[in-house]
Amino acid sequence: MQEMDLYRHTDTVNELLARYGVKFGIYKNNEFKEQLFPFDAIPRVIEAEEFEYLEKGLKQRVTALNLFIKDVYSEKKIIRDKIVPEEFIYASSGYLAQCEGVMPPKGVYAHIAGIDLVQGKDKEWYILEDNLRVPSGASYPMIARELCRRSSPTTFQKTHIADNRNYAELLRKTMDYVNTGGHTVILTPGRYNSAYFEHSYLAEKTGAHLVTGSELLVENDHLYFIDYSGRKEPVGAVYRRISDEYLDPMNFYEGSLIGIPHLHDIFRKGNVALLNAPGNGVADDKGIYYFVPKMIKYYLGEEPILHNAPTYLPLYKEDMDYVLEHFDDLVLKDVAEAGGYGVQFGNKMTRQEKEDFIALLKREPRRFIAQEVIDFLDIDIFENGECVPRKADLRAFVLMGEEPMVWKSGLTRFSRNPDSFIVNSSQGGGFKDTWVLSR
Amino acid sequence: MGIISVENTDRLYWLGRYSERVYTTIKLFAESFDTMIDMDEMDSLDNFCKRLEIPNIYTSGVDFVGRYCFDPEDPNSIYSNLTRAYDNCIVLREEIGSDTISYIQLAMYEMNRARISESPLIELQHVLDDILAFWGIVDDEIDSENVRNIIKVGKRVERLDLYARLHMSREELKREVDRLSGRIWRTCLKYRQSYLDDLSRLVDEPRIDYITIVQKTEMLLEE
Repeated sequence: MQEMDLYRHTDTVNELLARYGVKFGIYKNNEFKEQLFPFDAIPRVIEAEEFEYLEKGLKQRVTALNLFIKDVYSEKKIIRDKIVPEEFIYASSGYLAQCEGVMPPKGVYAHIAGIDLVQGKDKEWYILEDNLRVPSGASYPMIARELCRRSSPTTFQKTHIADNRNYAELLRKTMDYVNTGGHTVILTPGRYNSAYFEHSYLAEKTGAHLVTGSELLVENDHLYFIDYSGRKEPVGAVYRRISDEYLDPMNFYEGSLIGIPHLHDIFRKGNVALLNAPGNGVADDKGIYYFVPKMIKYYLGEEPILHNAPTYLPLYKEDMDYVLEHFDDLVLKDVAEAGGYGVQFGNKMTRQEKEDFIALLKREPRRFIAQEVIDFLDIDIFENGECVPRKADLRAFVLMGEEPMVWKSGLTRFSRNPDSFIVNSSQGGGFKDTWVLSR
Repeated sequence: MGIISVENTDRLYWLGRYSERVYTTIKLFAESFDTMIDMDEMDSLDNFCKRLEIPNIYTSGVDFVGRYCFDPEDPNSIYSNLTRAYDNCIVLREEIGSDTISYIQLAMYEMNRARISESPLIELQHVLDDILAFWGIVDDEIDSENVRNIIKVGKRVERLDLYARLHMSREELKREVDRLSGRIWRTCLKYRQSYLDDLSRLVDEPRIDYITIVQKTEMLLEE
């Protein structure tokens, strides 16, 4: 009954989300368009015990990934010990030579990690992807929860659900932990970025100042925010929501107009914290993903709690043979792509496409990984007044302060197309709240 | 945080100006359109455009409603001005809050609804309602006095500018100059005090020099 009360208000909640500007931007045919992110009120529900298991696994994984990034840019023990082949690191587009020898404040590299998981029909959770650069999505369930609580208070009175509106608090704690002294700012590329709503919403909720590159200045080895009177206010932490290559034109892409010259130089000197640290892409590359379970064993001496989807690296002959033999059963992913792009299912290709793809795979085996298609557990959504099953994933957020903290919620994205596994918002997907039961 | 950038100061000011421009021009438009019902349509149109100093590019009353109210390509349209208010507002979430910006977002939705409605003029009432609610929430929700006052100075400057262009009464002009004078010193905006003094004097002169009032109002703020 309570649930029905919640679902009845789906349209109202969606209207309110529109009113609050909960949108994401996409470029189609060179034109910027803002789209609403459709919300479905049927939540993903995770039992307390199950979440406890996920929490342990996520903390373990992100701890190992942090150790890996630190190692890659310093001692490189994991390469010397031949756990991860050298070529996988240096050929990764996420590896940045400029980050060699850089130790970020408090030694944290991946402060905010977005880990994508799916639950198979066997109820087992599988990690699909690690996002350690600028993962987005936490703001959507935060605001949706706020509105759902308004639309159906009894549902939340009678169900023991962990309150997810503390994300801003966790984020603030994470930013404050590494702050080197001064203001905390959220650096956005501007309102035409696809996740601009999130940047502005998190600034509002954390009390950090939302800035663009033109409002910041490096001077005398420190970072300053320039206020209206020209006064320079010191900045100690930058939660940057722009890609590595655009962060600093003096150290990365020299044509960047949205970065801050010399920002990376002062980061290297430990005079400002950058969340997340530049160079993290080396650890969330789709090719490196294959090695994460090995990293966990190597750095922590533990068995991985959460498993990867079975993955093959065509670069290895044995794996290439497997991929060619089972091509129709696999999903092929371009390691350089994100957002649901560069994902192809073997069984959906025409004969010609398959031949072309295999030729490309043989030419550029490092560029792709192949994965078994996980038969996701479907989740119901409301469509035209009835419940219909759809594929959905879960992005869990792990914040690394003094200790890793797992947000007791997450972004559940679903495909609106009954025949599709692609859940990304840029591909027309919608989202749900994720309830973690508190008992 | 208590600090504010030049960019955001500028956005707050223009948010005030554009939201006021939308509000006043919708009201003025409604009045003018009403007179068109009884008078020669093209004469009324000409008169309206002259008062607002915009080119009369309209071919009929229907064309005027469609383009002046709703044409996103016409830089003078109410739609374009609301879009500019929205563009300034949407980047100020952390300064003014989600609840505050939601009213400009609502106005934008209502404007789009009116645009495709069979009775667009009556539907514009909802846009006015949203803008009034926006002004209300600016007072109610925004903690920073500086931020509140910058938006309001934008509003006052725009209103004075429009009222002078429209040759409104001395009382109305005086009231707007007084409101502006009482507000502007409470902001971080840099302005020309001598121009403000001139405005007070100009609205008291026997023959009101509307053109100079517009010029002094437009140049009141320093770059």
